[in-house]
Amino acid sequence: MRGVVFDGVGRVRVTDLPDPEIAAPGDAIVRVTRTAICGSDLHLLHGKAPMEPGEPLGHEAVGVVEAVGGAVERMQIGDRVAVAFNIACGQCWFCGNGQSALCDDDAIFGYGIFGGALPGAQAQQLRVPNADINLLQLPDAVDDEAGVFVGDVLTTGFYGASLAEAERDDVVAVLGCGPVGFCTVEGLRALGAPTIYALDREPGRLALAAAAGAIPVHVDERNPVTALAEATDGRGADVVIDAVGHPSAFEGAIDAVRRGGTVVVLGVYSSETTQMQLGAYWSRALTVRFAGLTPVLAWWERATAALERGEVDPTPLISHRLPLEDAAEGYALFDRREATKVVLEP
Amino acid sequence: MPEFPTEDWFQAFIEAINASEEYAGFAATWEGDVVIQIDAEPDKGLAEDVHGLLDLWHGGCRGGGLVDEERSAAAEFAVRAPYSRWKDVIHGDLEPIRGLVQGKLRVRGDLPKILRYVRGTQELAYIAGQVDTTFPDDGPDQR
Repeated sequence: MRGVVFDGVGRVRVTDLPDPEIAAPGDAIVRVTRTAICGSDLHLLHGKAPMEPGEPLGHEAVGVVEAVGGAVERMQIGDRVAVAFNIACGQCWFCGNGQSALCDDDAIFGYGIFGGALPGAQAQQLRVPNADINLLQLPDAVDDEAGVFVGDVLTTGFYGASLAEAERDDVVAVLGCGPVGFCTVEGLRALGAPTIYALDREPGRLALAAAAGAIPVHVDERNPVTALAEATDGRGADVVIDAVGHPSAFEGAIDAVRRGGTVVVLGVYSSETTQMQLGAYWSRALTVRFAGLTPVLAWWERATAALERGEVDPTPLISHRLPLEDAAEGYALFDRREATKVVLEP
Repeated sequence: MPEFPTEDWFQAFIEAINASEEYAGFAATWEGDVVIQIDAEPDKGLAEDVHGLLDLWHGGCRGGGLVDEERSAAAEFAVRAPYSRWKDVIHGDLEPIRGLVQGKLRVRGDLPKILRYVRGTQELAYIAGQVDTTFPDDGPDQR
């Protein structure tokens, strides 16, 4: 089969890979019908995680079950499914308590040794361990282009929105309107947050967020701290969600939230550092919630139901649809911020 | 009348600091340069961040003015806020110690050292309010 692999910092390529086989009784083989490039794939492209040339990439996929192991009960050959980007065992305390991303056996597709050396989803086929829990059957109303968002970014948006615990009159600000920020806006709206501000410096991304129901703030035209203060009688936002994953965004969130408010750290961090003046956090009674990886299994059914009902629609994010063979171009477009979301067709 | 936050304004501020007997008393043992960082608010007439240095020493100000980011980063202290918040400080609508504690003014440096000089810090804000000042987002009739 063909698949995308890391080819050194700044490079990917499409190459021949061995066809996957059932390796454990809980496995399924999925024929991938759509896969996508995620912002966190760019971390790998930039060498922020240990990857060797030739290691497979990708963790967002939707497809059709082509084979199942002997212990698979819920999934059947022919099922159209979304794939969880991070797999879990389904048996441990964390899985039993809605925290599958903290599973003892958590692993991520296409993330090299850092992610447990799983295969990559940017390929024609994918072996999925513990298929009964790490695959989700998609309803007919959710097509493949929408379904490819279920296993990661849309569900991440719902999870991030849930961490906000927004109440009826709260003002919630989302810093960064890339795919995660956009889906967080959609999740917030679906979960009932009344007033959502979306902050970014890309007009196209702001327009998408506005279409999803947020009030856009172009941060190069308006100071975000002042904009949110003016929207709240000088208090600051009740909740600020950092959907960027950069220390400047985290610090901006801390500056923009009101006293007693909540900052949700949803963007991905690895080795970044920042100074925390503990007394300022303490005296302001701030709550800082680090999201970690999304517990997909806890939230993807809800995200899928919202898709099925038409309450959310992540597909406007898709700026480019490319054949799998053009994956390198897709990565380059995304890396240059010329694409909001690249979907690949194997 | 100098406009905040220009070089002329900072020079007028420094002159006022050095003319203040009260500040000289409150900060007689203070040693340390401080940057006032004013974050941009393009819709209010401040297109870029501004860094104003005050070389505060033993109750006076030995010099300063607008500096670049590199010099700003080398200062012992930096106090940062959007333009509107600084305007509130100058107008006396935001008491600086309260602003520091509530996070409305963000400090880089040893906050306890600043808090040991509460009266000096308050006096600096008072002095800033005494400088005849115009603001880029005020209409001509308010200048």
